[in-house]
Amino acid sequence: MSKMIRIQTILALVASFALAPVFAVEEGEAAPDFTLPALQEGKAAFSLSAMQGKAVFVDFWASWCAPCLMSLPLYNEMYHKYKDQGLEVVAINVDNPIEDGLDFLLDTPLDFTIPADPDGEIPELYGVFGMPTSYLIAPDGTVSLVHVGYRNGDIETIEEAVKSVLPGN
Amino acid sequence: MNKLRLLLILLTSLCLLSACTPVRPWERGYLAKEEMAWDRDSLERVLNDHIFFSKEASSGGNSAAGGGCGCN
Repeated sequence: MSKMIRIQTILALVASFALAPVFAVEEGEAAPDFTLPALQEGKAAFSLSAMQGKAVFVDFWASWCAPCLMSLPLYNEMYHKYKDQGLEVVAINVDNPIEDGLDFLLDTPLDFTIPADPDGEIPELYGVFGMPTSYLIAPDGTVSLVHVGYRNGDIETIEEAVKSVLPGN
Repeated sequence: MNKLRLLLILLTSLCLLSACTPVRPWERGYLAKEEMAWDRDSLERVLNDHIFFSKEASSGGNSAAGGGCGCN
């Protein structure tokens, strides 16, 4: 009987490692294309392929993730600062149900594009391994920065990276 | 007979493994809820940790910060 339990435990452990995500988008790689509907009703869907020639900052966030909520207003400021120079900010909400994300936006209005992905298909595609994770995509479609988590002062590092990939540079 | 039993165990195990999947970072909404925390009051926990660490001359070993995002 104990042998049976041992075998089952080993199999469970092997499976948990085997099923762990092995693919993650890294700096220098081409950003996988995706299309998602907007979180807010009446807003247009977002497609990464339609952003060719622009620098795109893609962020994954959820209303239950404290560092995400800290970073979003700062990304809004960054968006206003550089949007005329060709920066697009896209904050993909992964809340399920999506109403949780909408509740947050009632108190904190954000001006950039906010698509909804309650099933988590795009974080799966990108191999996100922490929340929040953001990807800076250069105008040629390659990922130039992968930033995991958010701590005070991180916006400076991100802004520096954004400035270096803006289409005008 | 033993081989048959082993095969049966393997097949049963494989069926059970369908539920064996890691929680992805974006699926931690329920884990981040207040009612899922070990302590009722996070401020009280921080205070208790502070007292414990100063008395024991040690640091860390408790739950990680970050509200279940797996980022900090």
